[in-house]
Amino acid sequence: MLSSIAKPFAALALAAALISIVLAALGASPVGVFAALGEGAFGSWYACVDTIVKSTPLVFTGLAVSLAFSGALWNIGADGQLTIGAIAAGAIGPHLGNFPHAIAIAIILAAGVLGGAVWGGVAGWLRARRDVNEVISTIMLNFVAVQALSWVVHGPLMEPSRAYPTSSPIARAAQLEFYFAPSRINLGMILAVVLAAACYLLLFRTGAGFELRAMGRNRRAATFFAVRIPALTFWVMALSGALAGLGGAVQISAISHRLYEKLSPGWGFEAIAVALVARLNPLGIIPAAILFGALDNGSQAMQRTQGISPELVQVIQGLVILIILAFDTPAWSGLRENIFGAPHDAAAVPPVAEMPDA
Amino acid sequence: MLRANAITKRFGRTLALDAVDFEALPGEIHALVGENGAGKTTLMNVMAGSLAADHGEAILDGRPLQPGSPRAALAAGIAAVHQSPMLFERMTWEENLALGGFDTGAGALDLDAIAARARSLAAKLGFEMPPAGATVENRSVAERVRLEVLRALSFNPRVLILDEPTSVLAPSELTAFLDLLRSLRGEGRIVVLITHKLAEAIAVADRITVLRRGRVVARTTPARTSEEKLAGLMIGEIVTQPVASATPSHSGDPVLQIENLTLDDHTGRRILDRLSFRAAAGEIVGIAGVDGNGQTELVEVLAGARRPSSGKITVLDGSSGGAMAVIPQNRDLDGLILDMRLWENLILARPLREQVTSHGWLNTSHAIDLCRELIDRFRIRAPGPETIAGALSGGNRQRLEVARAIASRPRVIVAHNICRGLDLAATAEVHRTILDFATGGGAAILISSDLDELLAICGRLLIISRGKIRETNPGERDPERLGLLMAGARD
Amino acid sequence: MLEAFLTSAITMATPILLAALGELLVEESGVINIGIEGAMLAGAFVALAIAYFSGSIALGLAGAIAAGVAINAIFAMLVVNLAVNQVVTGTAVSILALGLTGVFYRKLFGVTGKAFMVAPIAKIPLGPLARIPLLGPVLFNHNGLVYFTFILVPALWYVIARTRYGLRLRACGERPEAADALGLGVIAIRWQALIVSGALTGLAGAFLTLAYANTFVENISAGRGFVALSVVIVGRWNPWGLAAASVLFGAAMALQFGLQALGTVVPYQLFLALPYALTLVVVAGFGGQAAAPSALGEPYRRQ
Repeated sequence: MLSSIAKPFAALALAAALISIVLAALGASPVGVFAALGEGAFGSWYACVDTIVKSTPLVFTGLAVSLAFSGALWNIGADGQLTIGAIAAGAIGPHLGNFPHAIAIAIILAAGVLGGAVWGGVAGWLRARRDVNEVISTIMLNFVAVQALSWVVHGPLMEPSRAYPTSSPIARAAQLEFYFAPSRINLGMILAVVLAAACYLLLFRTGAGFELRAMGRNRRAATFFAVRIPALTFWVMALSGALAGLGGAVQISAISHRLYEKLSPGWGFEAIAVALVARLNPLGIIPAAILFGALDNGSQAMQRTQGISPELVQVIQGLVILIILAFDTPAWSGLRENIFGAPHDAAAVPPVAEMPDA
Repeated sequence: MLRANAITKRFGRTLALDAVDFEALPGEIHALVGENGAGKTTLMNVMAGSLAADHGEAILDGRPLQPGSPRAALAAGIAAVHQSPMLFERMTWEENLALGGFDTGAGALDLDAIAARARSLAAKLGFEMPPAGATVENRSVAERVRLEVLRALSFNPRVLILDEPTSVLAPSELTAFLDLLRSLRGEGRIVVLITHKLAEAIAVADRITVLRRGRVVARTTPARTSEEKLAGLMIGEIVTQPVASATPSHSGDPVLQIENLTLDDHTGRRILDRLSFRAAAGEIVGIAGVDGNGQTELVEVLAGARRPSSGKITVLDGSSGGAMAVIPQNRDLDGLILDMRLWENLILARPLREQVTSHGWLNTSHAIDLCRELIDRFRIRAPGPETIAGALSGGNRQRLEVARAIASRPRVIVAHNICRGLDLAATAEVHRTILDFATGGGAAILISSDLDELLAICGRLLIISRGKIRETNPGERDPERLGLLMAGARD
Repeated sequence: MLEAFLTSAITMATPILLAALGELLVEESGVINIGIEGAMLAGAFVALAIAYFSGSIALGLAGAIAAGVAINAIFAMLVVNLAVNQVVTGTAVSILALGLTGVFYRKLFGVTGKAFMVAPIAKIPLGPLARIPLLGPVLFNHNGLVYFTFILVPALWYVIARTRYGLRLRACGERPEAADALGLGVIAIRWQALIVSGALTGLAGAFLTLAYANTFVENISAGRGFVALSVVIVGRWNPWGLAAASVLFGAAMALQFGLQALGTVVPYQLFLALPYALTLVVVAGFGGQAAAPSALGEPYRRQ
């Protein structure tokens, strides 16, 4: 247990060291940059809250990615799924004015769930029935979703005055209100936490979750035990997409209230780093999301005061993933509890005295 | 002369080889015998360069071999034929051989010339070659062994090490193969034959070295020993008679019915051809066959991992347990998830999973208790239910799978090469378990390439050959005759 | 009109094909490199930066090659030496490259949004060939990189299918344990494939900035690296198939501008989405992994 927390920390420390080198190459001061990041993320009450706000979509996409990855389904398309969920929410949102608040919220979030589920389900179906590598399909769907968003905000969903490329604002009834205004704490965050717990239970306390994890660890063996791989693949991808889509709907309902281009600054990819830092454990997603949300939040201050563009955060994301993967191989640690792609030739298993020759 | 000096090799906590000394002379066939897991393959891998020993060295003609380099070993003249042939399935056999010594290495790659050289060598050895341009994946297992032998010989090696080459040969092909070894010996080469088949070792070897649990326990010659003595040395105790072969009388109620099971693969090749057979309660049915005649695919279909092209499988489900439990051949890869804990591996079996699940919710503590129970009952040596499966020894992993199969209370147990890789004691234990199961009213289907094992324990014997199944006459027990049937001879 | 469209198709196809051919080598050795997008982006940026500050296209190209190789080297260390999951590593490498190019771009060129242009690589019309009606301008009036890519197709086909090295390469992708037992050196061969692929992909990126856009914008590769991955699948791991598939996707990309120019009522986003959607459709129809090298994507470690 201790080692499973120690590893992500060690990885982050190494990432920090490498980032410092990059920063030095850019002529910036590593200490200054990290201080700016920290200050921007946690320097004031408002900053802290804003960090939580920025972490929320990462919880949704992080859950989506970790669920799929647990089944060895490489869902790189959380961005697209979130976007489609947002489009669905943004499309129906303006028309919910006459509904009671609770119902309107339920509808707009359900729209997000449905949109994301469809987008994820397409990739799932393609993998289950057509043997299409889900990495490729989800990446392609990402690009299609971006264009779809562009189209709707310039076209059918464009706001009536046609002055700006955004959609009509969603009805007040459908907006998740803020608690402790002017902070932006909203129900969406609570929903995210609840879902993290639910995903944990699903993954580790249900038969279906067990089958998912079995499929992820050893697909072939799973087939020997009546695990219906095609169906499971489809439903997991759909569920994964649904979670991401819900994140998109929450974003629309609580924060942006309307659609516009470039809705997601790469949450879907960031989610991969989040999921890995959390070691694919849904409960770990929350602290991991806060970490990366803090980086996102702090990066704006960093840009202002240190002149380093926010893309540095992506450098951090990439490095963190690479370092965690490098730390996690049996080649280094001798443990076999690595998360991904344990080489499944028999030779990888430490042979013991009665080594079967077969 | 090939020499291995004080070779020691550890894998994790286990000592696979403990200061082993080995020596083989030119113009001799030296048999290296031992139980599965005694360290024979590890020793071969060290000598052939694919494994670096922790201590000790291998020396050929006075020159030490560079450890851990197959290329250096090949250059020095040591070639190995592995237990499962290391061939490239999707490439043609010519390409496979081109990666051996038939390629001169000069000029452009000339597959025709390589094929011609291979064919002439094959003719000398009395081998048949596959048709030109054929890929390896459709070849029979015996053909593959021949191809790997050819490739090994193409290096014109001083030393040829063969690891259990005869386990996939039909009894009729055995004589020819042993003659081949003798002719290689006649050419002055060093032939190291790794085997657990003592009759063969005595028949063909000049000297025999016996390994047990990573140590050399005896060096002898066929003249000074016998199968019984060797067996005793291999397991270190008096060889007891195999478990009672009194085949249990069965009640006769049919339990499993397979009708016209057919499987075609994606290229249209027929792998299972209208298989039909049945099993009754209390029966132990053996399906004998040389590896590669459809057994693996049959097991996959029975386990539900693969859908047949046509045909019907019916289990007449009387009891409360699940219908059929399958123990696949590749126990570690297909039967277990080594990264997961013991109790998680236990509930891989659907009936057990259902037992600990209610309305979709998994009762973890119930599953752990169940696992603990089974660990006790089946005497699995493990620290506890939370142990990672991969940490168990091979024999205990086997016990876990058998335990899981029995605990799910099936009507039928299907096991593929269930005793492969087990020592005699463990084998006896498994046989006892199967007998108990049958006596309790279940039906057991044992698919195996080991005729002796099947003859010892099975009441009824079927032969599988080229995807077809045939019954044998009830009294038919002659291994030679059965061997011919396994090789595909017609009545 | 047709001529302009076809020429554009070839131009669009070139970087994709170049990257795809590199990826083909890598996949034949048994590795799938999602980081190809990152290598392309790195090559694009470095090529432009060096060409802009030094004034030399040649140096820019050299820099692109170095950048592509460096990115792939990071990937190789993890995937080949440490046998880590290839998909996640590749994705991380792409994210890393996206971030690095973005950060350095802003640092070097500022946030003003002023496009920093370079003169494009000169076209080299191939004399009489370029004068053949229709085919001439379409095929024989391009810059050197395009011709290089043309030649690469049969060259790579020959190397993979007919040479000793190609045989060894395929052996690694088919069954690495057997290849190692024969002393072929799987690790070394996979590294070599990744380095060559890094060079080719870097060049593909350089094409984008030096020959096509003549400047750098963030994420200029826009998923072309990922499209290259699909091209390998759709082309069934055959260099000629890759060429055909690349031209198909290049045409889809060229269609964007062609139809926009026509001023149809169909929204332009449809055309921007077309290559990606088309990739999806084609891969769904022809995307079976049956033709892939057997050990593709499986981490492998020498015992």
